[in-house]
Amino acid sequence: MLVQMWLPVLAGVLGYGAYRFLAGYPTPPDRNAALSPREYATVAAAALASYPRGGAIQPSGIDAGIPAHVDRFVAAQQPSTRLLVRLLFVLVEHATLLFPAPGAGGMRRFSSLDAAQQVAYLRGWQASRLLPRRLVFVSLRAILTMGYFADPVVLRTLGIAPRALPTPVCAADLLWPRVGQPRSTIRHRAGDVTPPGTPEPLGHEGPLHPDFAESAGERA
Amino acid sequence: MSGEVRVWADYERDVHESCDVVVVGSGPAGAVVAYEVAASGKDVVLVEEGPPFTPDDFVLDGSLSMARTMREGGLRSTRGGFFMPTMQAIALGGGSLVNSAICVRSPDFTLDAWCERYDLKRTTRADLDPHYQAIEDFLGIAPTPDDVQGPRNLLFRDGCTRLGFSSEPIARNVRGCRGSGECFTGCRARAKQSVDISYVPAAVEKGARVLTSVQVQRVLSSGRRAIGIEGRIVAPFTGATSFRVRVDAKVVVLAAGCMATPVLLQKSDDLANGSGQVGANLQFHPGVALMGVFPERTHPQFGATQGYHSLHFVRQGFKLETLWAPPGVLAVRLPGFGFDLKQNLARFPYAAIWDAIGSCNRSLGRVRARRSTLDPALTYALHPEDVKLLGEAMWVLAQIFFAAGATSVLPGVHRMPDEMFSLAEAEVLRTGDLRASDLTCGGNHAFSTTRMHGDPQQGVVDELGRCHDMDNLYVVDTGILPRSPSVNPMLTAMALAHRSAAEITLRT
Repeated sequence: MLVQMWLPVLAGVLGYGAYRFLAGYPTPPDRNAALSPREYATVAAAALASYPRGGAIQPSGIDAGIPAHVDRFVAAQQPSTRLLVRLLFVLVEHATLLFPAPGAGGMRRFSSLDAAQQVAYLRGWQASRLLPRRLVFVSLRAILTMGYFADPVVLRTLGIAPRALPTPVCAADLLWPRVGQPRSTIRHRAGDVTPPGTPEPLGHEGPLHPDFAESAGERA
Repeated sequence: MSGEVRVWADYERDVHESCDVVVVGSGPAGAVVAYEVAASGKDVVLVEEGPPFTPDDFVLDGSLSMARTMREGGLRSTRGGFFMPTMQAIALGGGSLVNSAICVRSPDFTLDAWCERYDLKRTTRADLDPHYQAIEDFLGIAPTPDDVQGPRNLLFRDGCTRLGFSSEPIARNVRGCRGSGECFTGCRARAKQSVDISYVPAAVEKGARVLTSVQVQRVLSSGRRAIGIEGRIVAPFTGATSFRVRVDAKVVVLAAGCMATPVLLQKSDDLANGSGQVGANLQFHPGVALMGVFPERTHPQFGATQGYHSLHFVRQGFKLETLWAPPGVLAVRLPGFGFDLKQNLARFPYAAIWDAIGSCNRSLGRVRARRSTLDPALTYALHPEDVKLLGEAMWVLAQIFFAAGATSVLPGVHRMPDEMFSLAEAEVLRTGDLRASDLTCGGNHAFSTTRMHGDPQQGVVDELGRCHDMDNLYVVDTGILPRSPSVNPMLTAMALAHRSAAEITLRT
C-alpha cells in the first residue's frame, strides 16, 4: 500500500529530474563539440552574463567566441580534469535549486533564467560568504575570461595582441620534431641554424602576429 | 660521440635499455645531471614523460597552452586547508620551458639557516658558489638589460628608487631576448635558454640517450640498491599508455619534480622512506599580485616577462617582482562582473601587474599518492602569520605603485575594496583582518617533499642528494631543498644538481 502511494511521487521526481537535466537544450553550432548541449547552453549563458555586449570593450562573450573556446579547452583536457570541468558546469546549471536566483522561477536551471536573473545568480556566487561558492565562481569566470582574451578583436581593441616575431632556428631544432610526429619529419638541417646576433626589442608599432591581424579573417 | 633521441611516434615495441645512470625527469635539475654525468663519459639515459615542444607547437592562448604543457591541464590545486592553484609542467625541459627564466642565488642567511637547522655541513655559500657559477656560465645568465625591460618593469624600478627600496634587473637564462613577454607560453624568439634547448641537447652531444613520452611508474630495487625503473610509453596530451619500458641502471636519479618524485617513491613500495618524510613538508612560495593603473599607456605586453625585482624584504620573508602572463590568466585576479569587469579589463593598456612571493616557512602541506593515477593529492594550509606576511607584502607593493605614479591599485582581495586610490585606503592590506580564504594566491615554486637533512631520521636525502636508505638512489629536484630558498628556486636546484652530478660520476 505504502509502495503504491509513493510510486507516482517517485516517478514524478525522476521525470522532473530527467527533464531538468536533459530536455530542451538546443544543439550546439558544432555538432562535434566536446561540450554536450546542456554544457554548451550553460557556458553560453554564463559568457553573456559575464561579458554583455557593449561597455568598455564592445564584443560580448558570445561575439568573442567564448563557448567555442571553452569547447576547445575542454577537448584539450585529459579525462580526469575534463570531468572536473564538466562537474563545474553541472553545478552552476543546477545549483539554482539550492541558491535560487531572485524573482519568479528562480529555481529554473541557470541557462533557462532570464538575463537579469542569470547576472544576479552569478553575482550571488561571487559575493558569497561561503568559500566553496566563491571558488566555483572564480573557476567559472577564469575559464570564460581566458576564452574572452583568446579573441583577436578583444586583444586588438586593448592594443595587447601578440606581435609578429620571426623565430630563429637553434641547434635543438635539429633534434626535436613537432609533438606527435616522428623524428623523420624534422625539416631543419645544420645549415639552417640562425647565427647568434643581437636582435632588436619588439615595439608596439610593429606588425601583429598573423593570427591576430585584422586580415586574419575574423569578424570585425 | 652523439647520443640518441626517441619521441612518441618512434616507439614500435616494448623498450628495454641498460645504462650506467638513468635520470627520471628532464627539468632544470635532471638535465644538469644528465649533461654532467654524460660529459664525464658515463652511459646516461634521460627519460621524460612529456614531449619536446618546438616553436610550431607553442600556442599563444594561455589556457590552451596550459592544457598542453601542464599536468592536469594546468588545473592542479592544493586542497585541505587551503585551495591554491599550482602547476607542474609536462614537457621536455620541464618548468624551464614555461617559466620566466629567473635565476637568483639563495641569500647567505638562507644557506646559513639551512646548515644550522638541518644539520648540513657542506651547503654554505662557499660550497655552493662554484656550482652556481658553473650553471650561470653554461646558460649565459645575466641581468636583464634596460632595452628589453619595457615601461612596466622600469616603473617598478622607479617606484622602488623613490621609496629607498633596493631593486635589481632580474638575472635570467636568456640570450637575445626581444621582450615579447611570452615566457609563459614558450619563447618564440628562442631566446630563453630553457634546458630543452640548452642542457638536454648538450647531453645528447655527449652521448646521452633521451627517451621522451616515457611515464615512469616504479623504481625497481633490491635491498638497499635501486636497479632501474619501469613504466609505459604515454601519448602526448591524451595520456594514453602503450608499450612497456624498462631501464636497468647502476644509479637511479629522480628529478621528476617535488610533486611527482614522492609519488613515485610511494608507488615503489614506499621506497627510501625510513624517515617517514617522503611527501611531507610540502612548501610553496604563495604569490599575490596587484594591478596598478597609470595615467599613461604602459604597453604591458612588451618587455621581459619578469624583468625587475626587489630583494629588499627577503629577510622579512617576501620578494617583490614585476609580472606579465597571458592576459586571460592575469585577469583571473581582477574584481568585477559584467560591465564592471569589462571596465577593469579595458585598463590593461595602462596597467602594470606586480607580485610578491612569500617564503611562508610556517605553512606546510603534504604530497600523497592516489590509488589509480600518478597525479598527486596535495594538501596545504596557509599559516595565519604567513597570511599577515602576504598582506604586508601587498601593502609594500601598493606603496611602490603609488610612488611610481599609479592612480589606483586593484588588489583582488575578498572583503576589501575592489580599487584603492590612495595609500591611506591601501593600508587596510596591512592592518585589515585578512584571512587565507580572502586571498587569490598562486602556488609558485613547490619544494621540500624529499628534503635533505644530515639526520637520516629527519630527511630523505643527504647533502649530495643520495637517499639515506639507499646506496645508489638520488633525488635532485626541488624536493630536496630543506625549506624555502627565499628566492626563485631554479638556480639553486640546478646548482645542487651540479654538485650531485660530480658525486654520481665518482660513485659510478
